[in-house]
Amino acid sequence: MSRPSKTCPVCESGNRIVDYKDERTLSRYITERGKILPSRLSGMCARHQRQLTRAIKRARHLALLPFIKGHGR
Amino acid sequence: MKRKYEIVYIFDSALEEPEVNERLDRFHDLLKSPDQAEPITGIAHWGKRTLAYPINGKEIGYYVVAHFEAETELLREFERIIKLDETVLRYLVVINEGLSVTRPDQLDPTRESEENVVDDIDGIVITELPVAEALPVSEEDDEAPISKDGGSE
Repeated sequence: MSRPSKTCPVCESGNRIVDYKDERTLSRYITERGKILPSRLSGMCARHQRQLTRAIKRARHLALLPFIKGHGR
Repeated sequence: MKRKYEIVYIFDSALEEPEVNERLDRFHDLLKSPDQAEPITGIAHWGKRTLAYPINGKEIGYYVVAHFEAETELLREFERIIKLDETVLRYLVVINEGLSVTRPDQLDPTRESEENVVDDIDGIVITELPVAEALPVSEEDDEAPISKDGGSE
């Protein structure tokens, strides 16, 4: 039994770098509570998953993404 | 060593654009060096945006993104001055990894407004399935029995 092969969405899009300012795209890779999706679910290759993680953390610092969604608001 | 950096500022939204520009000029003057008269290579004002969470009790911030090239040693003083300014709610300096365009993530105004609404409710943007299927054409039930058998009185 083999897993269905997943392709990395960033590689596929042709971008080399995940932009921390693009919170629209990043918001696709967080759970509805604001946690970062594991690569198992995001389908990212290891390199882009690392970039994604960092980008989301930067975006959180800049209040582009929430640390916890649905908290306080 | 000279490096390319990117900085994002979040100013207090109470500031008007001239005041923001005045502060930016003041900060960016610190990056000037004899061999680098114009350190700023790009700047973009995103304007006012709703913060994802309140910072210092503020819900709205004025975002500015700038690219610059400067000596590493100048950065310490630069950041110290930014930290001292109370109107800067947040800032982030990162090495510019070639995200050369300071773009407000390709956002057009329409998308932003719609986005804020969606984000605040719940961000299930992932599940954007084509819901709009053709509505099943309802079978006309014209055989509705309106049988009017004139009941004799």
